[in-house]
Amino acid sequence: MNAAESLARFKKLRAAGEIASALDSLQQDLRRGVFDADTLDQAGRLLIRHSESFPPEPRALSVLLAGQFTTSWLVGALTAVAWGRGKATLVREGGYDNVIQDLAAVASPVDVVVLAPWTQRFLGRDDRPAERRIEDELSFLRRAWELTARAGAALVQIGYDWERPGPLGYCLSGLAGGRVDAVRELNEQVRRELPKGAYFVDLELVAGEVGRAAFYDARSYHWTKQPFSRVGVARLCEHLWAGVRAVTTGPKKVLVLDLDNTLWGGVVGEVGAMGVELGETADGEAFCAFQREIAGLAERGIVLAVCSKNNPADAREVFEKNPQMILKMADFAAFEATWDPKPEVIGRIARSLRLGLDSFVFFDDSPAEREHVLQSLPDVEVVDVPGDPAGYVGALQAGLWFEAVGVTQADRMRKEQYRQEEQRRELEQGSVSVQSYLESLQMVADVRLLDEPDMDRAVQLLGKTNQFNLTTRRHTAEIVRSMLAAPRSVALTLRLADRFGDAGLVSLVLAMPPGEANSTILRIDTWLMSCRVIGRTVEDYLLNQLVERARTLDYRSLQGEYIPTAKNQLVADLYDRLGFARGADRPDGGREYVLDLSRYVARPSSIKPVNSS
Amino acid sequence: MDDIIGRLQNVFRDVFDSEDLVIGLQTTAADVEGWDSINHVNLVLAVEREFKVRLSSSAIARLKNVGDLVTLLGTAARKP
Repeated sequence: MNAAESLARFKKLRAAGEIASALDSLQQDLRRGVFDADTLDQAGRLLIRHSESFPPEPRALSVLLAGQFTTSWLVGALTAVAWGRGKATLVREGGYDNVIQDLAAVASPVDVVVLAPWTQRFLGRDDRPAERRIEDELSFLRRAWELTARAGAALVQIGYDWERPGPLGYCLSGLAGGRVDAVRELNEQVRRELPKGAYFVDLELVAGEVGRAAFYDARSYHWTKQPFSRVGVARLCEHLWAGVRAVTTGPKKVLVLDLDNTLWGGVVGEVGAMGVELGETADGEAFCAFQREIAGLAERGIVLAVCSKNNPADAREVFEKNPQMILKMADFAAFEATWDPKPEVIGRIARSLRLGLDSFVFFDDSPAEREHVLQSLPDVEVVDVPGDPAGYVGALQAGLWFEAVGVTQADRMRKEQYRQEEQRRELEQGSVSVQSYLESLQMVADVRLLDEPDMDRAVQLLGKTNQFNLTTRRHTAEIVRSMLAAPRSVALTLRLADRFGDAGLVSLVLAMPPGEANSTILRIDTWLMSCRVIGRTVEDYLLNQLVERARTLDYRSLQGEYIPTAKNQLVADLYDRLGFARGADRPDGGREYVLDLSRYVARPSSIKPVNSS
Repeated sequence: MDDIIGRLQNVFRDVFDSEDLVIGLQTTAADVEGWDSINHVNLVLAVEREFKVRLSSSAIARLKNVGDLVTLLGTAARKP
């Protein structure tokens, strides 16, 4: 299948009136990477043309491109990339260099704004001194950021690049007064001032990845004020999509790995634990380099899982006995060496880790296994693995799966936490009742008022928590701060620890009086919890704390709401379970709840407050 | 000449996503739905790809209709 064949099939299905299957097959081919830089735009334009036929569920993501160059060629390519990554997306563009006006006039809801500046003013020939040039750009960006926040949209900010070193040449341009130096200084300041939670697309790095000679196209800029080549547009859009994903659903969380000819050369069942190719030969070195890369991913919080067709004992023996192995058994949160079909096994891993399949990336050297997963699990991302192991690290990196806006301490601790979770589950199976299991965990919680040091983690949870999230409002730090500043608002965080370890800040509730500050009603704007601590009575404990706090502030009732999404079914009846009275179903699909505080009796929970023994 | 216009017709059908689009030597931008400045560039890039040539900005600016484009491609193809 090549791009021309894929487009022909699309048109044939469309001509037969089967537009849904036409869109479906186009999406599958985009996932398979059938389209190259030359044809991506065409696929994107077909999608845009038929956007009224997009499936209603899940709702298409709305992205606005606001640029100082002509963004028209990014619209098609970004649409196509997004679809290939499994997300129906509607991309709109503002007018050429009309950023502030367009952002001020945003009428329909926008999920993400992509700000795409260009250097025509910054590097223009006029007599402004360097500091003034930087300040002019920053004040433009600050206004754009403010308007983006006002529109309630998340932000993907493209940086600046120097394109060519200019008249001073490569050696001098990086020194004071040179173009390269000026652009780097500007990028650094943009990074420093960038709103919390925004994703920065470092154009200097992206252009370097492709190579500037291939990334830019001077003719295109003179024709249409669009500086990038087709190759440049395609690659930039991959980075833009990584940014959009980082600020909406968040990065991928799990890397599922095959073993034979993926982590080492050869088949362990044939050559034995000591006979696999690792180090020593060129291929062996390549497998070691790949393992080092993966070990680094685990350190920054990516969860590793093995899914391999092998006898479990053979597979484990390599980890335990081969001294060349860099990865150890303890690095994996799930280890499935079995002969079951891989899609089935991956489903099992997802359930055991309590993570959605859409947070999974699958890496396997076998094209047949990849195709099986591609066809059976539409939510799992499948890496297009090259035949030569020397290309593994590059192939994994090229997907930009794990691009994130910030790595927090919680990310780094995640691997350990998942291992603890495994141990807990083993204990759960051995416990007589849920109650005694929970007691045996010896859980302690620390509930605090949300403050500035916890803001990063709070905003990160707001950005990525999907399952236990009553309203899924992706508030930015600015919005949270304005809530904290509102009179009589209540914002609580909860940290949980047990005998196996510290789970850290895992739950957040934001509440404030609706309308009048002297209201007797406290309305819960946001309540979310990390899915790692589901089923541990954390919600009961936190509600007790919230009620206590509400009573001190003279509130008489709590209002809650549930806004259904594709992922938060888990909490559809949370308020019912917690004893709230069910109110009206709203026309937008949300549901209202109310809790009378005068009748509330503290709920039983197996959690003790911290520092009480 | 016929060969060039036949290949061009396929390029046009692709760019303008119209399966039954028929072009002639006299066809201009005003005759084809969706031939705006954006698609004009897409068209030039697609033509360059199909005929494996790179057209100069000045030559493109002089084009008045499809016939001019056919002539231009004929000249470009004869160049060594």
